[in-house]
Amino acid sequence: MHLSQTLELFPDLTVTQILFQEVRNAAELRQNAVEGKIKGALIKANMLVSPFQVLVAANKALHLQKLNQMKTRGLFSEIIFNLSPTNKISEAFNKFGISDGDNSVLVVLVHNKEESHLISEILTKVDGVQIPVDDLSSISDLEKIKKLYKVGPREEQCGTLLDAVVCRMATKDVM
Amino acid sequence: MAKYSEMQTLDFLRTAELLKQGAEALVYRSVFLGKPTVVKERFPKRYRHPVLDEKLTHRRTMQEVRSILRCRKAGISAPVVFFVDYTSHCIFLEEITDSSTLRDHITSAKLSGSSCPDVELEHLVNKIGHMLAKMHDEDVIHGDLTTSNMLLRRPPRDGETDPVLIDFGLSYISTLPEDKAVDLYVLEKAFLSTHPSTDALFETLLKSYTASSQKSEAVIKKLDEVRLRGRKRSMVG
Repeated sequence: MHLSQTLELFPDLTVTQILFQEVRNAAELRQNAVEGKIKGALIKANMLVSPFQVLVAANKALHLQKLNQMKTRGLFSEIIFNLSPTNKISEAFNKFGISDGDNSVLVVLVHNKEESHLISEILTKVDGVQIPVDDLSSISDLEKIKKLYKVGPREEQCGTLLDAVVCRMATKDVM
Repeated sequence: MAKYSEMQTLDFLRTAELLKQGAEALVYRSVFLGKPTVVKERFPKRYRHPVLDEKLTHRRTMQEVRSILRCRKAGISAPVVFFVDYTSHCIFLEEITDSSTLRDHITSAKLSGSSCPDVELEHLVNKIGHMLAKMHDEDVIHGDLTTSNMLLRRPPRDGETDPVLIDFGLSYISTLPEDKAVDLYVLEKAFLSTHPSTDALFETLLKSYTASSQKSEAVIKKLDEVRLRGRKRSMVG
């Protein structure tokens, strides 16, 4: 049900996405993440269009990590920051990082191939129902996403919402 | 540190298929994050002073990427940007699969001999004219308009062919009618030299452009002036 993928530019690493619904301990999870007890990015699942979007964010985060040029303090906060269409860090956390009352959470892990025990660790920590990552689109709040990324009807003529979102994520540093 | 990261992209490119080598960049094709991707690498130019080369290359990369996003926001089809590596100056873009260039399309339509092609081609250039008008209204100058830089995606069952603009490598933002006129002039020259006997077709394109753009009058006026300038033209005025 979870989705593990290798990034072409970082072939030794694996990016794993795990999706949960009906989450009841979002506050606790967020606290754990802040304290460093969870080594992963905890994302508001309804703000995501597709797992591809997360992959793009993770790729950029790893790239900047290797260069020591991350804008935030850690890899997982960087992944969350990269999802945002703006360059304001606090806004990114606000819009994409989980908040205490959230019901749907996407957890993103970055690890070596052998560390799959990390996945089962997450499963024990989250009080919620795991669903296939491919079901992400059924949770997406399209209106909220369009509004946040400022995607207008003109742009929808030449591509999907995912196209618009990914393009902004990839180019925001020079806009 | 920069060298290490540059290596990752360059290692990846070693496994990619080289599509084109231009004066400015190398264009590759591969799969990236699971999607068919084109990577455009602006390689270092050893004939330039290294500091200047870095600045220029970086600026060109930024301009290319900005123009693409600007076009897309206005509804003009251009490839989606997936990732930009500013250390190796590589742009990772969506590969427009299942498509052919407008150049090939016109060439084969002309070769098929019948007079019918022009009707279909007319419809197509009307779309192109409209698209370029939209682009110029956004103040985006493409910089290298040719029929090879316009792709036609194979349409869905009952749908229409959707033109996609590619290669924004020389593009920039400008409000000047002169720059827009030069953009069209470049296309005119490329069009007429690549596709013989297409004067009427290009006229149709310009008519469509004029009708679609709010700022076209000034641009067309400038275009007439620019045409008088060109190579092998009398500058007696």
